[in-house]
Amino acid sequence: MSIEAGFRPVEPPLARWIGFLLAAAVAGLGIGFGIYQGLPAQEIILFGVATFALVAWGVRFYTARAPIDVVRPEENAPIAPARTAGGDLRIFIGRNRLLLGTALALIIAFAIASFTVTGFFTVVTVISALVLLGLLILAMTVSKFVVDNRSAFVGIVVLVGLFVIGAINIRGFSSAFNIKSMLLFASFLGLACVGQTLVALLGGLDLSIPFVIGSANVGLLYIIGLGTPPWLAVILIIALGTLIGTINGALSFRLQGQALILTLGTGFAVSGSTQIITSIGSSFAGNVFGTVPPWLKNLAAMNGSTFGLKFPPAILIWVVVSVLLIVGLRNTVYGRYLYALGGNRTSAARLSISERKYWISVYAISGGVSALTGCLLLGWSGGGFIGVGQPYLFMTLAAVVVGGTSLLGGAGGYGFTVIGVLVLQVLTSFLVGMGLKFEWQQFIFGLLILPMVALYARSPHVRSQI
Amino acid sequence: MSAVARDAAEADPIAPSGSSSTYLLVPITLFFALLFVAVLRSPRLVTVSGLGSAIIVAVPLVLATYALMASTIAGRGTVDLSVGPLIGFINVTLIQIHGAGGLQSEAAFILYALASGVAYQVLMALIVIFVRVQPIIVALSGYLALSGINLVILPRPGGTAPEWMSTWGAGTEVLSPVLVILLIATAGWLIFTQTAFYGHLRLMGSDERAAYTSGVRITVVRIGAHAISGLFAGLSAICFTALISSGDPNQGTTYTLIAVTALVLGGASLAGGRGGVVGSLLGAVNIYLITYVLATFNFGAVQSFVTDLAYGTILVLSLMITVALPFLQRHLRFVSPLLYFVVLSVLTLGVILHAGFDYAHLAPMPRAAGSNPDVFIFEAPGTYAEAAQGSRLAKPIVFALLVVIGLTGSLRLLVQRKRPLSLSPVVFLLAAGLVLLGIYAIKNPQRLGHLLGPAGIERAS
Repeated sequence: MSIEAGFRPVEPPLARWIGFLLAAAVAGLGIGFGIYQGLPAQEIILFGVATFALVAWGVRFYTARAPIDVVRPEENAPIAPARTAGGDLRIFIGRNRLLLGTALALIIAFAIASFTVTGFFTVVTVISALVLLGLLILAMTVSKFVVDNRSAFVGIVVLVGLFVIGAINIRGFSSAFNIKSMLLFASFLGLACVGQTLVALLGGLDLSIPFVIGSANVGLLYIIGLGTPPWLAVILIIALGTLIGTINGALSFRLQGQALILTLGTGFAVSGSTQIITSIGSSFAGNVFGTVPPWLKNLAAMNGSTFGLKFPPAILIWVVVSVLLIVGLRNTVYGRYLYALGGNRTSAARLSISERKYWISVYAISGGVSALTGCLLLGWSGGGFIGVGQPYLFMTLAAVVVGGTSLLGGAGGYGFTVIGVLVLQVLTSFLVGMGLKFEWQQFIFGLLILPMVALYARSPHVRSQI
Repeated sequence: MSAVARDAAEADPIAPSGSSSTYLLVPITLFFALLFVAVLRSPRLVTVSGLGSAIIVAVPLVLATYALMASTIAGRGTVDLSVGPLIGFINVTLIQIHGAGGLQSEAAFILYALASGVAYQVLMALIVIFVRVQPIIVALSGYLALSGINLVILPRPGGTAPEWMSTWGAGTEVLSPVLVILLIATAGWLIFTQTAFYGHLRLMGSDERAAYTSGVRITVVRIGAHAISGLFAGLSAICFTALISSGDPNQGTTYTLIAVTALVLGGASLAGGRGGVVGSLLGAVNIYLITYVLATFNFGAVQSFVTDLAYGTILVLSLMITVALPFLQRHLRFVSPLLYFVVLSVLTLGVILHAGFDYAHLAPMPRAAGSNPDVFIFEAPGTYAEAAQGSRLAKPIVFALLVVIGLTGSLRLLVQRKRPLSLSPVVFLLAAGLVLLGIYAIKNPQRLGHLLGPAGIERAS
């Protein structure tokens, strides 16, 4: 039976038209509510175009591949010739049971919330729920056909969805100030994730990142306080961070399975010794006082400016680092060998790629970039604090995982992590905007990571690994 | 018989004694090194109240490490980061429900703790099995969700534990209910290791595909491992509640990193397939002892920083030694961890006796009537100064013990060369004898006078 014979439901031109109409409807809805909310015109246009393009592309993508999917029941037709409408429905339900279940759960949750919480059932929340539902359907159905980079697709869909819902629900969510602050915090998290991503590409983990960030934060202020020129101090701290990273790599090379715990150990040791050193001769143990130079403050403060433009240079640093890493991992020998090693050690060894060299170098990079993050955070806060890195302990891991870099190594990249970081950051901003406290934020984070990862990072069943 | 099978058969008798338990050598060494320092720095540790409070503090951590161990053995890189928040969750819900008037009976209280631990862990196992996401991601997700919801349930430390639990956390005696819980948990696991299920679990942890192809029902085994882990987590939460006798949403969370550290210090492999209660127990006790030893030094304001530094350094060093172990193992194949343990414990016994007597000799402690603040376990009757002079039998006993140990060791060496005949019964007997002696000494301190020669008998009568 040929593929043409399977063309049953919609002809491609018709599908394209439906997609076009659907996209126009969704975008029009968004624009209508934008005007209703009194948002600036350029934002409405931007969102309108973005939603239109996304929906149109999604539908087109779906229908262009759909016939192949539709063929399958036709091929089975001779076996079960007497198919009724009920049978069709059952196959449809069977194939999309996860999607239908989730959608049903969402609708039920929404209904319960509408009936129990007074003032919950408003136009804005209905629209948000519809957008959420639409995104869910989009993410789940279309992602079946996105074979490469499915995590990036899901991530972008979630990112756009969160942003749209946030913009509808929270006043000032899409203001320039909020976007700037989101980007600033994203750049801290993103820089902290550089090392974690590279290490994860080799199948390792680095839990020393938060401790190195905290130590760099306190250590930099301490060294500046000793009278060292600030620029030299920053270079010194980054060099020290790289050294710690190198030690991490060298020690954990023979213990790759236990890298998690070994880096945790070095992290404890580094943070402890930094505090001991900075406490010597000081009556305030653990607290370092000093003045942060203005240029360092400008580097990461909200009101900083880059070449006259009104955004902090930390964002620019992150963008530059991201571009370098994304391009570098794709196109340089170093990057390709990293993937080769992460994918299969034995075959990489046959290409005479030194596993030790790469393992140590990614940890060294991780240490150096973490130290840089610590320095930037000092500029942001203006005071040294050893615990400044603590939120990054599991956040870096979460961002890497949500982005879609496999913790087993060999798959993913920094571009994915950028998406992961942005998703987490927009989500945080959204939850803060909804007036949720820290504990609720963390709870929702925890609950959301799992389904997001489950959309693309399911490992095959053991019977298919034999 | 094929060559491979013959090789396997020849290698087999050596493997069980060597390969798995050689990893215990590091925690054992560390344990006794720390115990030496701890006892010499602060002999209060070996008084009844000192040991009692040490047990109260250490047991929740030990059980948390057990919980982690049970699921880690199952493989696939299961490092259950959520074990700390889970303990916190059970703790805060216990306190809140009890405060609201539920779970008044002891049985319901304990059952609830165990059931919620098992329920959570089984849920996690089901997600790992059917959603097929990496376990560490599930654990991370659980960590974030649970530590968030803990703060929602109980925003700040507070509440009170039930009445009947108030004596648990006193730490005035060695044989407290908490110790009984620990003993039951340990014995339960040791019995469990005798079952076929445990063999399946280890096989699955080492190589899941091999387990699957040899017909092990890996779904059932994984759920079972997680259920056991949940039981341990529930027990740990009960002991934790007894320790702080209130609810605390944050403190439980800190158990995660400590328990992972303890597990690794105990020689378990985070990759799965290797681990056990003995190693976990030693690892967790080592963590406690590190803190204890460091607390005896007065670092002033930098105390917590030194603790961090020491934690990290010891963790890294013990991991490094684990790397070197396979090389050592080739040359020290006859070293039995059990014998090693017994030898070192005899030495430690000497140190404890020395510390107890010496301490008393230097500064005889005034004894308040009615309370017994510093009752040494191996305390001699009468005044300390007299007792210090009176132990005539001590030398012969120590000498005899050394001879027995030496004999056992050399016999073992000799026999091991010839035939794979295990001498472990002898070592077991020796260990059992020592334990019995210890219990006797704890139970009847005044009878110990008979061991101390004429001077002791005189005083006892």
